[in-house]
Amino acid sequence: MSILNIGTRALQANQVALQTAGNNIANVNTAGYSRQKVILETVQGQFTGGGYIGKGVSIQTIQRNFDAFLTRQSALAASTKSADTARSDKLMQLQSIFEGGASGLGASVSDMLNAFSDVASAPTDLTARTVVLTRVDETAARMRAASKSLDDLQAGVQQELGQKVDAINSLAKSIADVNGEIAKTNGLGQPPNDLLDRRDQLIRELNGYIQTTSIPADDGTVGVFVGGSQALVLGTTVSPVGLVKDDFGDQLKSKLAINRAGTQIVLDENTLGGGEVPGLLRFQNNDLVEGRNLLGRLTMGISTAMNDQHKLGLDLDGNVGGNIFTPTTFNGLNVLQPVAPATLNAGGSSLALTIADPSKFAASDYELNFSSASAGTITRRSDGVVTAFDFNTTNPVTLDGISITESNLGTAVAGDRFLFKPFATSASNISSVFSTPRALAVASPVAGSMGASNAGSLQQVALTARTNPPTNVPVTLTFTSASTYTRSDVAGVFNYTPGQSIEGTVPATTPLSQWSLTLQGFPKANDTFTVQAMPAAIAKLNAGNATAMTNLRDVPMFDGAAMTDGYAGMISQIGIRAQSANYAATVSTTIAANLERDRASVSGVNLDEEAANLLQYQQAYQASAKVIQIAQTIFDTIIRQLGG
Amino acid sequence: MAGTSFSRLSTANTYDNALRNLQNKQTSLANLQENLTSGKRVVVASDDPTGAAQAERALTRLSRITSDQRALEMQRNSIASAESTLGDAVDALQNIRELVVSAGNGAYSASERRAIALQISGLRDQVISLANRNDSNGLPLFSALGSALAPFVGPQAPPQDYTFNGLPGQTASSEVAIPFALDGDRAFMHQPARDGVYNVTVSNSITGSIPSSRTLQTGNVTIANSALVNGSAYTINVTGVDTVTVPGTTTVTYNIAETPNVGGPYTALTSSFSTAQQGPMTVTGMPGLSLTIKGTPAVGDTIQVDTSASVFSVLDDAINDIGNAANGNAASQAVSQALHNIDIGMERLSAVRGQAGDLLNRADRITSSQEKRSVQLEADRSRAEDLDMIKGVSDFQNQQTGYQAALQSYAQVQKLSLFNYIS
Repeated sequence: MSILNIGTRALQANQVALQTAGNNIANVNTAGYSRQKVILETVQGQFTGGGYIGKGVSIQTIQRNFDAFLTRQSALAASTKSADTARSDKLMQLQSIFEGGASGLGASVSDMLNAFSDVASAPTDLTARTVVLTRVDETAARMRAASKSLDDLQAGVQQELGQKVDAINSLAKSIADVNGEIAKTNGLGQPPNDLLDRRDQLIRELNGYIQTTSIPADDGTVGVFVGGSQALVLGTTVSPVGLVKDDFGDQLKSKLAINRAGTQIVLDENTLGGGEVPGLLRFQNNDLVEGRNLLGRLTMGISTAMNDQHKLGLDLDGNVGGNIFTPTTFNGLNVLQPVAPATLNAGGSSLALTIADPSKFAASDYELNFSSASAGTITRRSDGVVTAFDFNTTNPVTLDGISITESNLGTAVAGDRFLFKPFATSASNISSVFSTPRALAVASPVAGSMGASNAGSLQQVALTARTNPPTNVPVTLTFTSASTYTRSDVAGVFNYTPGQSIEGTVPATTPLSQWSLTLQGFPKANDTFTVQAMPAAIAKLNAGNATAMTNLRDVPMFDGAAMTDGYAGMISQIGIRAQSANYAATVSTTIAANLERDRASVSGVNLDEEAANLLQYQQAYQASAKVIQIAQTIFDTIIRQLGG
Repeated sequence: MAGTSFSRLSTANTYDNALRNLQNKQTSLANLQENLTSGKRVVVASDDPTGAAQAERALTRLSRITSDQRALEMQRNSIASAESTLGDAVDALQNIRELVVSAGNGAYSASERRAIALQISGLRDQVISLANRNDSNGLPLFSALGSALAPFVGPQAPPQDYTFNGLPGQTASSEVAIPFALDGDRAFMHQPARDGVYNVTVSNSITGSIPSSRTLQTGNVTIANSALVNGSAYTINVTGVDTVTVPGTTTVTYNIAETPNVGGPYTALTSSFSTAQQGPMTVTGMPGLSLTIKGTPAVGDTIQVDTSASVFSVLDDAINDIGNAANGNAASQAVSQALHNIDIGMERLSAVRGQAGDLLNRADRITSSQEKRSVQLEADRSRAEDLDMIKGVSDFQNQQTGYQAALQSYAQVQKLSLFNYIS
């Protein structure tokens, strides 16, 4: 009998082994499948007088081959890779919005300013003026188009974030369900291999969206934590995540928040780690904001500088010039206060923004914190530099070319906060404001004339009006020697240096006002030079303001770079970000692939190995069948002998 | 729980890795192809951010040089036009000079002198129209720091018969530009202290013109001290001629009236000279000026010294004085004054013409240096942005070979499996 038992048991064991090998082969390409191996053990032998007689083989367990350390490492690396790849892809899209070359924004700005030099050559030619108008229009159109592309990119990112957050929540729900099923099987003694595989696969997919930490619990469930310490899944309970706006309700940024039993806890970006959702959040909150601020600063700087210069000129009909581009206005989208559920401002402070100096703009948002009723600090978000302010001593406060005016002095409360986004809206609706060539103000409102009897070699290099209509005119400079002169408006003797500017105000104010004159050459005693208002008969033929417009090309404006070089700087800033994101993505992809290979070398199915196993167990099966056959023959022999 | 992982491979993972490598190679190949077809090493900014910025800046500067050169061409045309106009004006003045010389012919009668004056007036109109000439854009060539469309206006009522309707002065050249216009005031207008252009006419308060029986001629007004010259006109009245007191010497007593009156009138001035030699009598009462008179003065002789506001006024005076000269005395007086003043006028025109020539030379120098800059900038742009074709093609060949090898080995390896040998 025992032989039959041995044979039967062996047959069953080998059949199971064959089935397991077959299962492995069937699941060779299943994602997340860990190969299973049959662990056989021998049955305890029976004691007889002649020794312990073995009783055959039995299956101890079906073992699932996996390495917890490698699995965790691989999931972590995959998560980093997803974050880097998501951010890198989006940065490539951001970069393609700002292209260089002849069809880019920089070329149109440069062409627009160069067109003024043609007007300077022929001030009465309406064609040259029309060309300027066309180029101004073109520049405004390209700025609007870039802004629209940024908006589209923003909308796309927002939508993707929404979809991926939904995916996170549904994966979390699935993990919780699997946790429940595994918990039920916990007391049964054998590990539920397929459920464990399924849970590991779900966790790996979840890590692609957001980096998680898994901590196994005693009942066989696994707790999944995001943001370092917030429980997404605990046993069979899920705390869903969602997208919320930041403290100030800024429409251009998002944050991830987890909803625990009705309380919403906002997760800090820096604790989120890897995963597509944090990658996209980083892109949206940092890179896209920077791109928008750079574009806004370019737009605001150029339009403000050109508008201001245009107002310093006279048009063909003798009128003071107006705006060329739509003037920048700041509204509620540029000054934000905290919204619920963050702590609202308790004070009554009312802050407004105005432009002070376009050449000092920094492309950044600013956060203002009151530490008392009228004083506090302002943080520049792009680089974290903190400046202190006090409205009691200076109101308005000027920082980086923007002036902040407090209209309700002393009503703030410590802890009140404001967010300033001066560059967020300037490119979205910029356009050229006028369309008549005659209204282009190219004549200068001040003119210079030398004394008719001058004997020296004075020449006029430049005469620029700083105020229109002109003030402090006429003023006559009388040279008492080759290096000194007196003025008709201010007493005293002044030194003359060829090439150095002589200001209308003594001493010169900042910003400059009235007018600025530069002379070269050497005068003789009694030579004169008069600065006067431009006579009407001469104004039609004068192109002084057109020359001043072309000189704007060299005004240092964007972090010290000249106005026409601002776009090149912008391209390279965004390009550097895209390039480093590319490198990061390449490196993390390679690391993730290596770790996955290591994990798969433990858990993956190797077809050659399974083929060898099949042969092995098939032979054992045949041998076991043979054992049964022999047992049967023995039995038959006994029966036949005894049966007669 | 772990099986040995030292030399084990997962089948599915092996396929995944091979596929990933193939895709990477394919992407590199496609990128290199894009570089080759566009000729650029930097297709998007992230390929080389500093190179992209350099190329963009070079493009901006190149287009700026183009626009500056276009403006320079217009400026050069204006100045060249002004220079040749000044040449034409000098030629016209030369013709006038010859006519004036011919008017000094003692044999000519009044009607012949009137005919010459008519010819001179035709040439004078030509000079005025030359001075008011515009360039191809309709802007006056001689507008100095700014003028009306026709900078020279006149004749108007004296004393300022011709005026420059603009702002005198000269704009300076810069590194990339020259001025659009020349200083017309400096070329065509006269200043008493600087140029010393005076027109002297002689007459007699009793008999009108100097009778033909005697001669009375003056030299040209010279500047003795330019600081004292105040631009007034002077009338010298001879009140007494004494040939008796000192034998052989004539002593003339005269008054000088000044218009507008600054320091005068100067009375009871005297001057002596040898009677036999008929001069010269030096008049020194006029502040800063000195004048010599030759001939036989008589009581009642009036010598009028007028300033001349411009070269056109000089021509007007020549036309008037020559055309209306009563006798040879007046005619030769007019001729000698006109010749001296026209010479001064031509000198001034030539001086400004020389300046124009300098400006044209400067324009040439600017053009050649801008051309060199353009070439340099184009080289910078190319170095930053363009693909080195030889390297590009060779990289492409390498990648292509590598891709081919990867594809072939993938196809071969996947045929090897134990299942193929188990029948």
